[in-house]
Amino acid sequence: MSGYRLPAGGRIDRSRAIAFTFDRRGYRGFEGDSLASALVASGVTLFGRSFKYHRPRGLLAAGVEEPNALVTVTRGTGRTTPNLRAPSVPLHGGLVAESQNRYPSLGFDLGAINDRLGAFFPAGFYNKTFMWPRSAWEKLYEPAIRRMAGLGESPTTRDADHYAATYAHCETLVVGGGPAGIDAALTAAEAGGRVILIDEGEEVGGGALADPGQWAWLADALARLAAMPNVRILSRTTAFGFYHQNFIGAVERLTDHLAPTDANGARERLWRIRAGEVVLAQGAIERPLVFDGNDIPGVMLAGAARTLALRYGVAVGRRVVVMAVHDSGWRDALALAEAGVVIAAIVDLRETVDAALLAAAKAAGIACHLGHAVTGVAGRKAVSGATIAPGGTGAAQRIACDALLMAGGWTPSVHLWSQARGPLRWDDSWGAYLPDKSIERVRCVGACSGDWDFGGGVAVAALPSAKPAHQQKAFVDYQNDVKSRDIELAVREGYRSIEHIKRYTTNGMATDQGKTSNLNGLRIASEALARPVTEVGLTTFRPPYTPQTFGALIGHHKDALFQPLRKTAIDDWAATNGAVFENVAQWRRARYFPQGGEDMHAAVARECRAVRDGVGMFDASTLGKIEVVGPDAAEFLNRMYTNPWKSLQPGRCRYGLLLREDGFITDDGVAGRMAEDRFHVTTTTGGAARVLAMMEDYLQTEWSDLDVWLTSTTEHWGVIAVQGPRARDVIAPLVEGIDLSPDAFPHMAVREGRICGAPTRLFRVSFTGELGFEINVPADDARMVWQAVHAAGQRFGITPYGTETMHVLRAEKGFIIVGQDTDGTVTPGDAGMDWAVGKKKPDFVGKRSMMRPDIVASGRKQLVGLLTEDPDEVLEEGAQIVADPNQPVPMTMLGHVTSSYWSATLGRSIALALVRDGRARTGETLHVPMPGKTIRAVVGPTVFYDAEGSRLND
Amino acid sequence: MIEITPLAVSAADLVVGTAPVSGHDVRLSLAPAAARYSLRARDPATLAGVIGRALPTRIGDMQGGIACLGPDEYYALLPAGERVPDGAGLPVSVVDVSDRALGFVVEGTGAAAAIATGCPLDLDRFAVGRATRTLFETVEIILLREDTTRFRIEVWRSFAPWLWHALVAAIADR
Repeated sequence: MSGYRLPAGGRIDRSRAIAFTFDRRGYRGFEGDSLASALVASGVTLFGRSFKYHRPRGLLAAGVEEPNALVTVTRGTGRTTPNLRAPSVPLHGGLVAESQNRYPSLGFDLGAINDRLGAFFPAGFYNKTFMWPRSAWEKLYEPAIRRMAGLGESPTTRDADHYAATYAHCETLVVGGGPAGIDAALTAAEAGGRVILIDEGEEVGGGALADPGQWAWLADALARLAAMPNVRILSRTTAFGFYHQNFIGAVERLTDHLAPTDANGARERLWRIRAGEVVLAQGAIERPLVFDGNDIPGVMLAGAARTLALRYGVAVGRRVVVMAVHDSGWRDALALAEAGVVIAAIVDLRETVDAALLAAAKAAGIACHLGHAVTGVAGRKAVSGATIAPGGTGAAQRIACDALLMAGGWTPSVHLWSQARGPLRWDDSWGAYLPDKSIERVRCVGACSGDWDFGGGVAVAALPSAKPAHQQKAFVDYQNDVKSRDIELAVREGYRSIEHIKRYTTNGMATDQGKTSNLNGLRIASEALARPVTEVGLTTFRPPYTPQTFGALIGHHKDALFQPLRKTAIDDWAATNGAVFENVAQWRRARYFPQGGEDMHAAVARECRAVRDGVGMFDASTLGKIEVVGPDAAEFLNRMYTNPWKSLQPGRCRYGLLLREDGFITDDGVAGRMAEDRFHVTTTTGGAARVLAMMEDYLQTEWSDLDVWLTSTTEHWGVIAVQGPRARDVIAPLVEGIDLSPDAFPHMAVREGRICGAPTRLFRVSFTGELGFEINVPADDARMVWQAVHAAGQRFGITPYGTETMHVLRAEKGFIIVGQDTDGTVTPGDAGMDWAVGKKKPDFVGKRSMMRPDIVASGRKQLVGLLTEDPDEVLEEGAQIVADPNQPVPMTMLGHVTSSYWSATLGRSIALALVRDGRARTGETLHVPMPGKTIRAVVGPTVFYDAEGSRLND
Repeated sequence: MIEITPLAVSAADLVVGTAPVSGHDVRLSLAPAAARYSLRARDPATLAGVIGRALPTRIGDMQGGIACLGPDEYYALLPAGERVPDGAGLPVSVVDVSDRALGFVVEGTGAAAAIATGCPLDLDRFAVGRATRTLFETVEIILLREDTTRFRIEVWRSFAPWLWHALVAAIADR
């Protein structure tokens, strides 16, 4: 192909030249050019190397269906985009584009050796050849294949751009701004509703842009739309996905068409559109023809050549041959001739064509070869001639040419229609699938519905040839380098469904998702199988319609805004005081407070000793809290939790265990009865939302007769745990209106009063085994109260502690953490918590499941304590436990370690474990195999410290 | 080798702004402190009697600072410090949630568009005086339309820093 700029014509602005580079060489185009049109106008024929064989490839198409001309565009550091389709890249001053998949250069590519060895790389080659040895796949084959076969390179630096997103609503959404779409938008807008018109092009107009006869109409129609206040036109926008109930995802490209220095603001915007009605006007895509040499640069779609000439003023060659099986090829040839492009010949496989077309071609001085097929193409990096033969098998003759256009008929773009679950029907005259009967609030108009006049034609699988298919380089899928013979091989090897053939050959699996290849592949498979196309199936259309950036899909959900990080009202104090944090669910929590050069081990040991010997304070604000209110509050809790609640007196607390319907523990927490009809229920930090949803579910679906309501108060209350023998001494001077004496305010009680002037719900509860209080105050007061407690506690050596110390202290007492010591398959019995189950209760959630045969059977894993023989050895959490370490591998595993810590209080390690028949193994020595050693540990009770609980009741 | 530089700002650094943020015909500011109550009852008349205030009758309506969020659910936004009787013993639920949420005010001719960046509601059909629980991206909010160009957003306090900065980013993008 030796393209050149026509002396006149096109929608480009010839007064505004634009300089750009392609593979570091400078070129010039005009305002209004695409990268593809400017390069073709400059005589460039070679655009890229193919995926597998590294064959030289030129431009095939003029739209997003382009499979070959993929480029990488760099707009500065962190702004590199691979795999852009050259026809869809608008030209701007200073554009920097590079070709892909070639080394060292596009013109001389070492990988092209693959093409010479092509006979050794049939479909399924990778699967067959690189399977053994298995270990070599990851280290050797896969990296090597990736280097050789590939598209552009992924960027390796942080994306410097940012991306916007929005929702939008309209009564009518029109996808596609060609004549049919514009008409539909005008009609809908005149009816008064909100209309959004989406078009993926640089200019709205679709096919009309390549038809100067429609330009006046187009300008007028767009002006009318623009003047209507109820119409929004989104150009440079791709509707990439159709989701439930007319929800459309679209990406608007905001800055890529501008020179980087002119680009401000977000690069792209994600539009999430809910539409009353969706009108699809996506048009149709021209099909290539399958023949030997159909991928040599200069062989391209006839419609694309027309677009280049009439929209961009670019001739694809100086001597052009058209290979048609469809009238549209003749129309394109005539339009090209009229624009000044020399058409050397029109070759048509049909014996007869429309007399008017034939007459017009002859009148234009074009040689016509009816009943002929192209059987070969001369040239490697550019077409230099075509061989044609009658019926593909007769006496061959050669025609000199520098461009060969294919007119294989048109495939309606039913992508979004199919994503909407719209049914399809085969249409013989189109040789393609068309939308079948309508679906609610979605319709197709124009070419994508089959309602467009491209003329008539025949649909063929591959052009006839005397050469057998396996000797031809006749490409079906250009981007994935699939030839007709690969599809025939797949059929020979036994594949019958098009879905399997697709995966075996990779036909249609590239970034273009087979926009130009699916129908040809289907037809070739159908002929090879000797079954009608409709019986071979059709592959599914999935979003996205064209590749989209991750940035657009992510929007603001990155970096600091990736997801909310929840912090308590006391978090600032912890940060100021050197806390090391950990994330728990969405919350960040202080894990420990190192002092001096302490590591975690030393800090936690110090914090633990402080709580056991004096007093510590802990931010427990993240605990989930639910206010359960109403005359039936106690009845409701009685049905939800395993424990009895109705007898609980106001002012008292109870530990509650929550099961799922299947009888397994799902959450736990302490609840206080604030009044006859009001409970303050706490949940685990991570379980707060889940437990509220579960309770709401039961309330609304099972027990809607109960007069009780649930309100999340997690964020209303800040919670300060003050724990240790001196806890009462610390808070006493701060509390008003509550008698703190042990008799008046015993363990597991709750009182209301004031602390530091703030209203408080003061709980006397303990997750440490020590005398303890949990001060609930409104969140706005939490920081003030925390600091007051900290100040008041100074003379007692009060020590702020974090979640790690909390974990150690509770483990010393054998208190479980749901989700750590339980895993969704642990019953109260397994956890040794039968005491928390109300035996006399008629029912509670999960009760019936506790009688299932596998729940009452022996051999269940039970929670036990483990003490290593070597007291300094701290087991790994998650480590497996066996009875006999000398068994052959795989050993019989009895269970695993769930919690394991160094206990400073006890001066040794402690662990909890789930072990098969664990409680019956008390006193038994078990083994924990670790890399290089096996650790011996003795089974015992889960409570390691103050088993009598005497310290709680001081 | 992929080397990604550390972030200049992490999620842990986000705080609710103390000063309003303006741009593109939108102004985002923090609403003054308020008393907030979650009110529940099967029978609205009983609840109205307990709190001594009239209740809106249609879901999504606001009246006297009280929004009807569901068939048995109301959300009262009252001047700070105002108390509501708790209706002990009656089939109602009155819960003080004053400190659970922060209020944002989003106002200006661009307010609706700024909120629409992350809220899936059709705001053209969300009339003045309407209120509903909804989402801004992944975060639950209560959205109240106080005037044609003024909205109030109620958001749980630990989500407020994220929402504030997400709105600031949305305002900057427009």
